[in-house]
Amino acid sequence: MEQEQSLWQFMNQESAKLLQQTLQHIGLTFFSLLIAVIIGLPLGIYITRNRRASGIVLGLAGVLQTIPGIALLGFMIPLLGIGAVPAITALFLYALLPIIRNTFTGINGVDPTVREAAVAMGMSNAQVLFKVELPLAFPVIMAGIRTATVINVGVGTLAAYIAAGGLGEFIFGGIALNNTNMILAGAIPAALLAIILDLLLSLVQRTGGKRRRKMIWAMPLILLLLSSFYVLPLGYNARLLAGFTPEFMGRQDGDIGLRSVYGLHIRTVVISDAVMYKAAYDKKLDVISGYSTDGRLKAYDLTVLDDDKKIFPPYYAAPVIRKETLQEYGELAPALALLAGRINDSIMTALNYKVEYLKQSPEACAREFLEKQGLYKAPRSGVKGLVRLGSKIFPEQYILINMYAMLIRGYTDLRVETKTGLGGTKICFGALVNGKIDMYPEYTGTALLAILHPSRQEIGRLGGDRDSVYAYVREQFDEKYRLQWLAPIGFNNAYALMMRRSQARELGIRSISDLTLYLKKE
Amino acid sequence: MILVKNISKSFGDFMAVDNISFEVNEGENAVFLGTSGCGKTTLLKMINRLIEPSSGEIWIDGKNIGKGDPTALRKNIGYVLQNTGLFPHYTIAENIAVVPRLLGWDRQKLWSRTTALLEKLHLPPDKYLTAYPHELSGGQQQRVGLARALAADPPILLMDEPFGALDPITRTSVKKDFRELDELKNKTIILVTHDVQEAFELANRICLLDKGKIVQAGTPDDLLYKPADEFVRDFIGDQRFQLEVNRIGSTDYPALIEAFNHFKSRPH
Repeated sequence: MEQEQSLWQFMNQESAKLLQQTLQHIGLTFFSLLIAVIIGLPLGIYITRNRRASGIVLGLAGVLQTIPGIALLGFMIPLLGIGAVPAITALFLYALLPIIRNTFTGINGVDPTVREAAVAMGMSNAQVLFKVELPLAFPVIMAGIRTATVINVGVGTLAAYIAAGGLGEFIFGGIALNNTNMILAGAIPAALLAIILDLLLSLVQRTGGKRRRKMIWAMPLILLLLSSFYVLPLGYNARLLAGFTPEFMGRQDGDIGLRSVYGLHIRTVVISDAVMYKAAYDKKLDVISGYSTDGRLKAYDLTVLDDDKKIFPPYYAAPVIRKETLQEYGELAPALALLAGRINDSIMTALNYKVEYLKQSPEACAREFLEKQGLYKAPRSGVKGLVRLGSKIFPEQYILINMYAMLIRGYTDLRVETKTGLGGTKICFGALVNGKIDMYPEYTGTALLAILHPSRQEIGRLGGDRDSVYAYVREQFDEKYRLQWLAPIGFNNAYALMMRRSQARELGIRSISDLTLYLKKE
Repeated sequence: MILVKNISKSFGDFMAVDNISFEVNEGENAVFLGTSGCGKTTLLKMINRLIEPSSGEIWIDGKNIGKGDPTALRKNIGYVLQNTGLFPHYTIAENIAVVPRLLGWDRQKLWSRTTALLEKLHLPPDKYLTAYPHELSGGQQQRVGLARALAADPPILLMDEPFGALDPITRTSVKKDFRELDELKNKTIILVTHDVQEAFELANRICLLDKGKIVQAGTPDDLLYKPADEFVRDFIGDQRFQLEVNRIGSTDYPALIEAFNHFKSRPH
C-alpha cells in the first residue's frame, strides 16, 4: 500500500517531466513511423511488382530487425552522433520490416480475379493500385503499422541512452539509482502508451467502406501531428550543452547537488555513459558527468573540473561479499585481500585506458597487471565449491572481476563463475542479496547514496571523508544485509564534471564554480 | 467487326493458342467452346489485351488494337468474369459505375444509368444500390457483374464462363434475364464456355477449339449436322439428341420422331 502511495506521489511530483517525456516518446515513435511509412509503403508496393527484389528487400529488413536495439544505437553514434537523428533513424529501421512485409503480403493477398476485373474495366496501373489494391490491402498494411508502433514504443525507451529523451530517462535512471518508483514512472506510461496506441490503430484497421477511404487520407496527417510532439529538450543557457547519465540526473551528489550547492543551471540532455565521452570529444557535448578513473578521460583528452564545494562523496572501490560465502570458504578472504591497496587512481585510469581505448581484453589486461605485480599464479584444481562473481556493465568492473577470478583460481581450489554486464547498481546489488552471485566490486559512495539512502544529516555528519564513509557502509551492510565489505582496492572512482581540455583552457574554467560563474555571465 | 489474324500465344514451351484466324461480325454472338486448357480463355483475353499475343494481330473496326492504348480499348469492351470479380470494398452502385466514372460521366447520368440497369436485372435499386457484394447471392452478384460490363454501353462484350459458377436453377434464371435483356440484342458478344448446351443455346457462331487450334468454326447447325471430324462428333456426343430436339422445337412431332429414330440407329 505504502509503495503504491509513494509511486503516485513520485509521479505527481515529477508530473511536468513525465508529461514532457511522454510527449517526446510519442513524438519519437511517430516521427520514425512516419518516415518508415513514407519509405516502406512504396518499397513494399515496388517489390510486389519486382519479385526478384522482394527477396533481397525483405531479407535486408529482416536482418535489421534482428540487431539488438542497443547495438543498433551503438552503430548509429559514429555515423550520426547523438540525439534525435540517430534515435529516429534506429527506430525507423525497426519499423521498416513490418511495414514493408505487410504491404507486400496485403497487396499479394488481393484476389487476382478482382485485380483482373480492375484491369479489364480499363483502369491504369495507378488506378488499380489506388482504387483497388491499396484499399483492399489496407487492413493488412494497418496491422503492419500497428506492429511497428508497438515495437517503436518499446525500443524508443533506449533513445534515452543517446540523449534523445523519452520515457527511457526514468526507466534507466531508476535502474541506475535503485529507485523502483522511478522505473515504474517510466515503464507504466510506456506500457500504457503501447496498449492505447495499439487499440486506437486496431479501430482504424477495422473501418470499412467510405470511412476507410477517408482514413487513408487522414492517416498521414495524424502521423505528422503526433510526430510534432517531439520537441528537443531545451534548457536555460544555449552556450554550453551538458550530457549527464540517467543515474547522475537523479542523484543527490549529481545534478541535484550541482543545482542546490553550486547553483549551476545548464542546458542538459540525458545520455548513456557508454557514448558520453565520445560525444564530448566530438564536440556534441561540452560538459559531461564522468568517472574520475575512466580511461576515456585520457583517450579523449578531457579534463576534470575541480569539485571546490565538495559535493561528490568518495567512491572507493572494494569487494562486497556474502557472509555465508566467506564463512564457508575460509581461504577466500586472503585471496581477495591480495589486491587491497594495490591500485591507485592513475593505475586504474591507465588500466581502463588499455581496455577502453587500446581495445585490450579485460582478461589480458588483468593478467598483465597481476604478472607485473608478481601476484599471478597458474590455476589450481578447481575441485572445491563454486564462487560466483558479478560485475556492473563497464570496463573497470570487468577488469577487477577478472583479477579476482584469477586470484581465486590461483590461490584456492575453488571454482569461479563470472556474471558480467549486470545492468546497474540495482541489478548487481539485487543479485547479491538474493544469492544469485556471491561477490561484486562496489563503490562506497554508490552504496551510501544509491543503496542505503541515509538522511541529509547523516551524510553531513560523514562529511565526505574516505574512512568514515567506508566505516559507515561496512557497518550498515553487515547489519541490514549480512554482506561484508573487504578492504578497499585503493582508487577513488568519484563522479566528476569534465570538459574538453582545450575548451576549458580557452574559457578559463578550472572548477565547477568557474563553470557556474561563466554561465551566469550571459 | 473483330478480325483475328494468325494469332499465337505461348507460355514457355506450351502453345496455348496456335496460329488462329477468324472473324466475328457486328451484332453476332460468338462462342468459344472447348475443354479446359484448349486455349479459349487465352484467346478471349487477347481481345481486350489482358494477355498480349506472342504473334499475330487483332483488328477491331479497322484498327489494330495492338497499336493503341490498352486502357482506352478496355473501356470500350465490356468484360464479365466467371467469379464476378466484383470489388468487395465498393457498393453495388459503385461497382456498376466503375467504367462510366473512369470515362468521367456526371453524377446525374451515372445515377440514372445505374438504377435503370439494376431494374432491368430485377434487383430493386433502393434495396441494392448501397449493399456490398458479399451481401448478395451468387446469382445476384453475377447480374451485377453483367450490369458493370454493360454500364458504359460498350459495343463489344466479352464473357468468360459467365454462368460457370452458378448452380443449375440459378443458372437458368440468370440466363433468362440475360436473353431478355434488350441491351444485348445489338452487341457483338464473345462468350467462352465448356458447356455444349450453353453454346448451342446462345451462339450464332461457334468456334470449337482443341489444343490451341480451331477444330471447326460455323453455325450451330454446321457443327450438329456437318461435323468436320471425329473430334467434333465426340465432343457433342451424348448431348446430340437433346440438341437436335432443341433445334427442332418441341411441338414438331414428326420431325422429332425422325430425329429419335435417326439417333437410335447411330452407333455411339
